Amino acid sequence: MVKLFNWSRGILLAFFCLLLVRVFLPLPFAIEIIIFATYTMGCNFLLGRVGFISFGQPAYLAVGAYATSFYLFYFGTNPIIGILLGILAGVAVALIIGPFFVRLRSDYFALVNLALAVIVFYLFEKVLASITHGDNGLWFLTNIASTPGLDLGVPSDFFIFVFLVAFGVWVLYKYLDDSIFGACCQATKTNEDKVKFLGYSNFKIRFLAFIIANTTTALAGSLYAVYFGFVSPEIASPSRAADPVIVTLLGGVGTLYGPIVGAFAYTGMKDLISGYISNWELFIGLLLVFIMLAGEKGIWGSLEPVLKRTFSKKGKPTT
Amino acid sequence: MDPQLLISGVIFGLSIGSVFFLLSIGLSLCFGLMRIISLDQLLYYAIGAYITYTLYLVTGSVWIGVLGGMVISGIVAFGVERFIFLRIYERDITFTMIASFGILFAGVGAIKYIWGLAPLPVPSPINAMASIFGTEIPIYRLIVIVISFLVYVSIWAFLNKTITGKAIRAGIENVEHVEGLGINVYKLFTTTFIISGVLSGLAGGLHAPLIMVDPQMGLEVLPFVFMVVIIGGLGSIKGTLVSAFIVGQVISLGAIIYGPLAQMAPFAIMLLILLIKPTGLYGSKMLKR
Amino acid sequence: MPTDEILAVEGLNVAYGESKVLFDVSIHINANEIVSCVGRNGAGKSTLLRTISGFVKPTSGTVMFADTSLVGIKCYDIARMGLKYIPQDKKVFSDLTVRENLELGSYATQDYNWDKVTEYFPKLTLLMERKAGYLSGGERQMLMIGRALLGDPKVLLVDEPTEGLAPSIVAQLQNVFLELSKKAALVIVEQNLSLVSAISQRVYAVKEGRVVHEISDEGEIKNNVCEKYL
Repeated sequence: MVKLFNWSRGILLAFFCLLLVRVFLPLPFAIEIIIFATYTMGCNFLLGRVGFISFGQPAYLAVGAYATSFYLFYFGTNPIIGILLGILAGVAVALIIGPFFVRLRSDYFALVNLALAVIVFYLFEKVLASITHGDNGLWFLTNIASTPGLDLGVPSDFFIFVFLVAFGVWVLYKYLDDSIFGACCQATKTNEDKVKFLGYSNFKIRFLAFIIANTTTALAGSLYAVYFGFVSPEIASPSRAADPVIVTLLGGVGTLYGPIVGAFAYTGMKDLISGYISNWELFIGLLLVFIMLAGEKGIWGSLEPVLKRTFSKKGKPTT
Repeated sequence: MDPQLLISGVIFGLSIGSVFFLLSIGLSLCFGLMRIISLDQLLYYAIGAYITYTLYLVTGSVWIGVLGGMVISGIVAFGVERFIFLRIYERDITFTMIASFGILFAGVGAIKYIWGLAPLPVPSPINAMASIFGTEIPIYRLIVIVISFLVYVSIWAFLNKTITGKAIRAGIENVEHVEGLGINVYKLFTTTFIISGVLSGLAGGLHAPLIMVDPQMGLEVLPFVFMVVIIGGLGSIKGTLVSAFIVGQVISLGAIIYGPLAQMAPFAIMLLILLIKPTGLYGSKMLKR
Repeated sequence: MPTDEILAVEGLNVAYGESKVLFDVSIHINANEIVSCVGRNGAGKSTLLRTISGFVKPTSGTVMFADTSLVGIKCYDIARMGLKYIPQDKKVFSDLTVRENLELGSYATQDYNWDKVTEYFPKLTLLMERKAGYLSGGERQMLMIGRALLGDPKVLLVDEPTEGLAPSIVAQLQNVFLELSKKAALVIVEQNLSLVSAISQRVYAVKEGRVVHEISDEGEIKNNVCEKYL
């Protein structure tokens, strides 16, 4: 079979596009797209590979963001350590709640996750107000020390950093996709019983996928925190719960490039359209309904077969 | 604990539970019969509340507003069912859920466009108080509880005594067999959807005088409705009733004990119940279509 | 061919997504005839019945019921027209009573004459108020066939009616099928060869999605020729 988007070339292609973004578009926009794409990768993995839809991703985003922020606000100055702590917090939270959540059916999973996002929102806004400063949020931009090599306080260096991080995450997902584990995930999505007969544990597969996906989301939260130098409960706001799901759908569920294409399209449209109409929800809502009626394949999902065809006609068989 | 506080807390919880119950029936019925998670019910809830507000301004009567809210919600639900759900019933449940979320979101946008962003007040139609064991209780809250109880009884009668209701119950078990008997299930789907929409509208209209009407109100009650439906078990009316009142009590009594607990406690309860029974109190195993 | 042909399937192709299940299947059923379909599990017998009754859309081919084409007609309308499918899963509406189950059978055609049901299955009269979930397997099968009889169907498609039932009930069903054939044509998918040879006038053997043989000779049917297709 002609496999055009093999390992190295696929990565190069996608990230070449991102480099173009860096060159032609303003820096904040580029950074936002990359973090957003990272944020969406977790959701995309859950929905596309394991069949779990989560309306609660902001909860995990907030966990990562707050772990980083607490460190940078109260204890230290090194943003790298902050980000690592964010990842650790993501793993810890996923380890604690994962066993309960992954036992649920897909529809219950979505509902429970949304409920979790609300709880996390209230937790950071009200219950822990003494350390999160409630709605005022935590400001620590000046606390962030410059780091040797890449200075994360400098936007252009930060761009390279998030670029490399996103790249790493993307490679990880690509690797997972090709591994036995990826096949197992697909299998639990399609037929639980047969997975059991093959001697794999649905629970373990899902649990691992859950940890990986939510750690990715927490990482994105950490990146947001370091980038803005600020965090408020707004990051867990349930009204933004649909964002990653929309981006996943927009890009194309389960496709590896989907999150990047989706994040690009979504952020771009948001910036463009909010210039004309302030009523953003109406547009997102109609867009979602439209995607669903149009056949749920998303931008990349519909583009991929076309691209494959045109490229393979030029006849460059790579195995 | 102060008994007066306890009594008013219980009544408060019952009235909140009533609203949650009315709102959750729709979600539960739609899931049971059509296997969709109809998040757009929360839009009809908001529409019910807004129509109540508008009709109150025009006619001066909240009750006319509530009735009008039910009618308009039913009409909107009918339109949405016709133009969107009818095309996607066959799809996977996660996809109908996303589509319904899209409808909810678009609806919130439309509400902002029509009524503006600011929260709007609806006065209580009855300001009198009743005295229960020496505690002053607003009569309006008692009426809300009675109405929801009447709705439960009539839904029960509808499902058990009418042929359409029996067909709906049969469809909850197995849609294909109902079709095999020559019954047009899409008519049942439409009926169920409209009933759900009307009840959600009723919930919105009744809730309006107890809260401020604002565009996000659907999204605000969303997690609680989820909890009700999850704890009760998707697809079970009885479970919905029981869990609506559990959640109502947990919120109201939780708030008496410790303020921030009100938002968190139902979640803890939900986790606990799901831990013991992953399909909720009265939920059955997922029947795949 | 005789003029009393009631169901004609011609060149039927069915696919579930990528995988094809039926290939150019043609069968013909005459009024008041009992026809059996035999074949291994997965041969496509159930799919054939489900396609005729409108639950599965064929990719090509025609299904004629009397003078009407059934392709593209909704399954509930087909059932109302008098072609009823009795699935093999023996799932009655377990939360509903036997009476309510029958009421639903009556609803579509407004045929409330239950005597024709109790005539065949007198036992159901005793069980009217019982929830169908508490019936035995045989009783459930009676109820499923019974509620399909309401509305006087012209063709009954019965999918594996005796699977998992006690021999005494199988014998009873055998008599019922013979009685029923006075009023309607029956297409029965069946693995139980003694039943097949006892009641069928013709047998279609289905293998890997194709009709490989049609046996219309009564002697051959009685001599268990069908055995080699199982």
